[in-house]
Amino acid sequence: MSSSDLQGPRRAPLTTDRHRNEPMTRRSLTRATLLGLACLTGLGLAGCSKDFLTESPPHIIVADNLYTDSAGFEAALNGLYAQARKERYGQDNSGNDILTTPMTIGVDNGWGNYVSTPERVFDEWGTRNNSQVDAYLGLWTWLYQTINAANTIIGRAENPDIEWSEQTKNRVIAEARFMRAWCYRHLTYLWGPVPLNLTESSGETIKTDWQRAPLDSVYAQMEQDLLFAEANLPETSDDPGKVVKAVAQHYLAELYLRMNQPDKAEAEAQAVINSGLYSLITTRYGVNASQPGVPFMDQFVDGNVNRDQGNTEVLWAWQYQELVPGGGASIMRRYWVNRYYNIKGVKVAPEYGGRGIGRLAPTAWALNLYEPGDDRGSIYAIRKFYLYNDPDNLPTGKQLGDTVFLSWTAEKNSSSKWPSTRKWDWTSAIDPIGNETYGDEPYLRLAETYLLLAEAQFDEGKLADAANTLNILRARANASPITASDVTIDFILDERSRELLSEGERRYALLRTHKWLERTRLYNPIAGPNITERDTIFPIPQAVIDANIGAAMAQNPGY
Amino acid sequence: MFGISAELGAQQVTVHGKVVSEAGEPVSSAIVRVAGGKGGAPTDSAGEFTLTVPDANATLVVSRIGFEQREVPLAGQQTVTVRLKPTAVTLDATVVVGYGSQKRSDVTGSVASVNPDKLRDKPTTNFAQSLEGAVPGVNVTTTGSNAEGNDVNIIIRGRNSIKASNDPLVVVDGIPYEGSITEINQADIQSIQVLKDASASAIYGSRGSNGVILITTKMGATGKPRISYNAYAGVQKIAHLPHVMTGPEFAQFKCDRINDGQNCESVFTQTELDNLNAGKSTDWVGLAMRTGVQQQHNLSLSGGTDQTKYYIAGSLLDVQGMAKNDDFKRYSLRVNLRQQYKDWLELGTNTQMSLTNRGGMPASFSDAFFMNPLTNPYNADGTLTVRPWPEDPFWDNPLQGLVVTDDDESRRVFTSNYLQAKLPFVNGLSYRVNAGIDFADRQQGRYFGRNTATGLSALGSATTTNSNRFDWTLENILRYTHSFGKHGIDVTALYSAQQNKLETQGLHSEGFPNDVLTYHQADVAQLVQPSDDYSKSTMVSQMGRLNYNYDDRYLVTVTARRDGASVFGANHKYGTFPSVALAWNASNESFWWGGKAFNTLKLRASYGKSGNQAISPYQTLSRLQEDSYLNGQQTAPGYIPSTLGTPDLKWETTTQLNVGADFGFLGDRLQGSFDFYRARTSDLLLDRAISPVHGITKITQNIGKTQNTGIELQLTSLNIDHPDFSWSTDFNIALNRNKILDLYGNGQNDILNKWFIGHPIDVNYGYLMDGIWQEGDDIANSAQPTAQPGDVRIRDLNGDGKIDPLDRTFIGSLQPDYSAGLTNTFRYKRFTLSAFLNTVQGITRSNDLLSTNLVYTEVRRNTIEHQYWTPDNPINTYPRNNEEANPLSVPFYEDASFIRLRDVTLAYDVPESFATRLGMQSLRVYFTGRNLWTHTNWTGLDPELDSQRAEPLAKVFTGGINVEF
Repeated sequence: MSSSDLQGPRRAPLTTDRHRNEPMTRRSLTRATLLGLACLTGLGLAGCSKDFLTESPPHIIVADNLYTDSAGFEAALNGLYAQARKERYGQDNSGNDILTTPMTIGVDNGWGNYVSTPERVFDEWGTRNNSQVDAYLGLWTWLYQTINAANTIIGRAENPDIEWSEQTKNRVIAEARFMRAWCYRHLTYLWGPVPLNLTESSGETIKTDWQRAPLDSVYAQMEQDLLFAEANLPETSDDPGKVVKAVAQHYLAELYLRMNQPDKAEAEAQAVINSGLYSLITTRYGVNASQPGVPFMDQFVDGNVNRDQGNTEVLWAWQYQELVPGGGASIMRRYWVNRYYNIKGVKVAPEYGGRGIGRLAPTAWALNLYEPGDDRGSIYAIRKFYLYNDPDNLPTGKQLGDTVFLSWTAEKNSSSKWPSTRKWDWTSAIDPIGNETYGDEPYLRLAETYLLLAEAQFDEGKLADAANTLNILRARANASPITASDVTIDFILDERSRELLSEGERRYALLRTHKWLERTRLYNPIAGPNITERDTIFPIPQAVIDANIGAAMAQNPGY
Repeated sequence: MFGISAELGAQQVTVHGKVVSEAGEPVSSAIVRVAGGKGGAPTDSAGEFTLTVPDANATLVVSRIGFEQREVPLAGQQTVTVRLKPTAVTLDATVVVGYGSQKRSDVTGSVASVNPDKLRDKPTTNFAQSLEGAVPGVNVTTTGSNAEGNDVNIIIRGRNSIKASNDPLVVVDGIPYEGSITEINQADIQSIQVLKDASASAIYGSRGSNGVILITTKMGATGKPRISYNAYAGVQKIAHLPHVMTGPEFAQFKCDRINDGQNCESVFTQTELDNLNAGKSTDWVGLAMRTGVQQQHNLSLSGGTDQTKYYIAGSLLDVQGMAKNDDFKRYSLRVNLRQQYKDWLELGTNTQMSLTNRGGMPASFSDAFFMNPLTNPYNADGTLTVRPWPEDPFWDNPLQGLVVTDDDESRRVFTSNYLQAKLPFVNGLSYRVNAGIDFADRQQGRYFGRNTATGLSALGSATTTNSNRFDWTLENILRYTHSFGKHGIDVTALYSAQQNKLETQGLHSEGFPNDVLTYHQADVAQLVQPSDDYSKSTMVSQMGRLNYNYDDRYLVTVTARRDGASVFGANHKYGTFPSVALAWNASNESFWWGGKAFNTLKLRASYGKSGNQAISPYQTLSRLQEDSYLNGQQTAPGYIPSTLGTPDLKWETTTQLNVGADFGFLGDRLQGSFDFYRARTSDLLLDRAISPVHGITKITQNIGKTQNTGIELQLTSLNIDHPDFSWSTDFNIALNRNKILDLYGNGQNDILNKWFIGHPIDVNYGYLMDGIWQEGDDIANSAQPTAQPGDVRIRDLNGDGKIDPLDRTFIGSLQPDYSAGLTNTFRYKRFTLSAFLNTVQGITRSNDLLSTNLVYTEVRRNTIEHQYWTPDNPINTYPRNNEEANPLSVPFYEDASFIRLRDVTLAYDVPESFATRLGMQSLRVYFTGRNLWTHTNWTGLDPELDSQRAEPLAKVFTGGINVEF
């Protein structure tokens, strides 16, 4: 064993593996300094000072030295992925106030259990839902920052001085255009018509008269971007975090549903399903295969998430790694795992998912949606009881290992005995009570493609096909089969909740099917009484309106 | 017995003499004594005295308030004339004005000198503290009180800049000084001048608009070598601390807040309950703080001949601050040397070497302040708990600094060197080259072991940082002085270049096998993250100055400076800053009628431009931030655009008009100066919020305009002047009115940043609290229909029946009406008592200790005790104890005006006879008290502190001695 083996892993410094475009070498810098001194003692030779005052930083990446070759563009693409991954991190790049909050609670299957400021908006609505809500500006800023990063790549890739193959160039542009479309998807679901920014921002042309583009034109741009991505992304990638063709097709299917073109949606969804590359997980596999469990849950376990780890269902997996620069962090577990350690006699344990603060929670309706035997509602998918594990703190009359059953009859704030999803369970070996998760997470799964397919088939009136599609999903989870007569849009949304509880963006699916107001009122007793038609679309952040001093930007109605 | 025989052996002699000023005016009430002897005689109104001395070769010691003490060897003479040099700021003194010095009476701009008495007997770690209230228009605010004493802001004549730095330029012995001013040893400072108006500061061009502080260090005088030893030692105590709740008080508070005082057990965690039941309450602030101790020792050797002058001094400063582990040590050695090599050639150096140790991570006052008193600071074995509140692991132990390994050492050489030559052929023409080098390195190493929360979660966390500063300044100065008839001219031309370079390498590593090797074990870490920073800026300047003097009556100064700076955008590398100043010495006119009663009057006026180049290196370039991803488990370096390029970015420009007068009455027994100024700053460096649609939310641009208008008055008066007793007074007062004239060129306010045209840069803007809703009020029909009795009532300013942003308004003023300083110095025989009062009046600020949601939703933090509204105690000043009582988080404003007894010093000059017996020439003993008394209506920690959770102000008691051998 060599001595370097003993020293543990060494991490590469954060540089791209190429020479930076340094205008001056160190030796010539020294020469310039000497020349400067010579000029000075010679008095008044102002011409000498021209170079003396030119800035040439040797240590930082500036735009003009990054986008010059394919390695630089790869680094720029990495930045896009790191940006996208922040959907499951906190506002302003912190470990608090997860960005998904507005997309996943205040809906039929999600509510805010512990109400600190952001969750409260989506429980209480009314005046709390206003243009000053920090979460909105946080989302908006994050999305347009990513769009600008993508625009910069797309624009600068056309520089004829770059030496690369047409294929590499198109693949780079395809990834960037995919990310841009993905951002506009978020933006249009959250705010409806939004400004369409397609070029790199420059310090010399600050716009103060942005206009909100009609939804049709934003959709048209998204369609063009996704079609380009579909044509130029590879079918598979050795790099597990990269987007591939199927991801573009999946989002095209969803976009066509929004554009009311279910036939095209069906074709794109079928293209993914029939590609021969993906299949639902139907048998136990991977790192926990020998433990009791269900196949459905194996794909969420760190070590099983990526395609090269045996996951045939994942389309887009988000990569995390502890103690590695660029390893990022997710706070999904922090936000979804409940505060069971507030139950006397129960303490934080990896088998209970690690330490969470349970600010996001499934509604009672969502928890009751599963028929007996459905793997997705089983105790392996949803935490429904704990065993006392804290010998120092047992309530009187209880023994270690006695069961604490949870209850979910009526939502009431600060319920530490409310069940939680186990999809995000993860505990750091280094810091068992740390806030962040560094395990890989599935972001997009084939199961959702099936749900989009069913939705398209329903829209086309092909109820039997839709039932077949849903039955494939249900069979995997051991749920009973359905028939064409069972298929309604509500049933599809129910199935979606059963399958994707806490995943995806529930609010978006409800808005796409025009069911948000109705179903949230029906099934979310906390938010339901408080929401109105106005709330189907969020207010444009006030800072965006205030900064647009060159032209009035219309606020959404009612705000 | 030997003493008596010595006296008998000498011949007593009577000496007659006269004491005069440099100008030859008689000086009355001067004390003339025999060195090492008893008794003495005062001079009469003609400046004359008669004294019997024990021997014809005795040495006379002549002293007088306002003049430097002088020793005169009689060498057998029986009639002597003694000329005294003034010490206090009088019109005849020489003042350093930048790139040279001038007689004060020749100065046309507004240049204030700090009274040298202010620099004496001053046991402070930072010279800025000597400027407090000492110079009108110079505002020194304290933001904390750490051991180093660097929590100090200096602002001259109000804030010009909104976002850019308002710090003045500091120049030490002619060389611009960057970095920490606490590394300058105050004991080495001879004089401090403050350049305030455009005429005075324009010679520093793009760096002059915030004013300039010129520091000159000490130099020996012709005469035999002198050894001085100055030392002091003192203690520091918290000046004021509001009552922070104890455990039982906190428990009651928490239960009231969460459960209306009912069923209290249910609101506490187990740890809180255990502590409460055991009657344990932790005084976290008490555990984090201590009585501070500080001491300084200075030993210097100075002296010289007509050709050579020298001053060599070593010093040790050792401060143990009020927060535990807040330590600061500074060792410095200064060598100042001046050599006249030939008639026409002189060279010299002023060099300080220092070693500064800032090691030790202090216990956190603010964390201790907020820490729940029902939690555990220590484990059973006496070690610190990692997480004092296991149920709420968010909270680290506020005392964790005590177990963190923290080393922080800086070494620095700051050297200013010159060579000055009279040039041949042209009489009055000289050339000087100044070369300044500032070389500093700083090594920091910090290790959080597993006995801290940070270290426990990372399995040890180490950070080392090495930074290296290398700055140089090179100045070529040509000077020409010439007089013909009644005309005098003085021309200065400068060509200079400067480079500042700072390189920093850091290493952060985590995950170690154990804590033994602290931060020296990166080679076995699981995570190693190197970092690298680099910053270089360069400047090239040309400056010209012409002083013209006609018959000491009419004075004109014209200056212009052109600066080129690397930090400016590519399209604006150079800026030019001209100024002109006029002065009229009216009292030198033949028709002057003032006589002795009104003996001096000089009128001054100046107008000019100066700049603020507060742009950091590379700020104008289009930059990206690191945003890396993963390829599998490996780092995939990533970047996204983060900053827009701004090739047009340039300096801020301040155009200032100054009109002033210097005057003296009763033969300068009452003297002073008055100034009026108006400064307009344009092209402000503003971080303009831009539409987030750009993907970037702000950009720095040159936009907007501000104005500062003010008056300053400084008076010095010798009220009583008797040989045994004297009383003198220094008084200064300054008023400054600040406002924004324009922001974005379209007349629009920036509500987001609270910048309003026509209002000061800093304002209180928000909802106005209108008392508390009481039971029986018609709440349902009010603008806050959902309020409960006990909630904060907000004034519906526009009466539209709802509370919305249109109801926000200006509340009081953050700008003081005026600030003033008053120093009274009494001398009775050998005792001197000096008291300095400082006041700032007319400030309103929100007191963040009164904010209603300090404790967080589930009462996770402690706070100060105060009264709450209850149905039985229906007060109208503070709401009920409930999170919902103040939904719009309306702040509570208070008057932050204060009068403070800043310094009191009692000094005693031990009689020479006694000192001699101890082998000393002179011995002075003094005691000072700092911040002993404050009058204010402010209820927080201190009206001066920005944050009421910062380390509180200290009362300092110090004793010191000054000895000369």
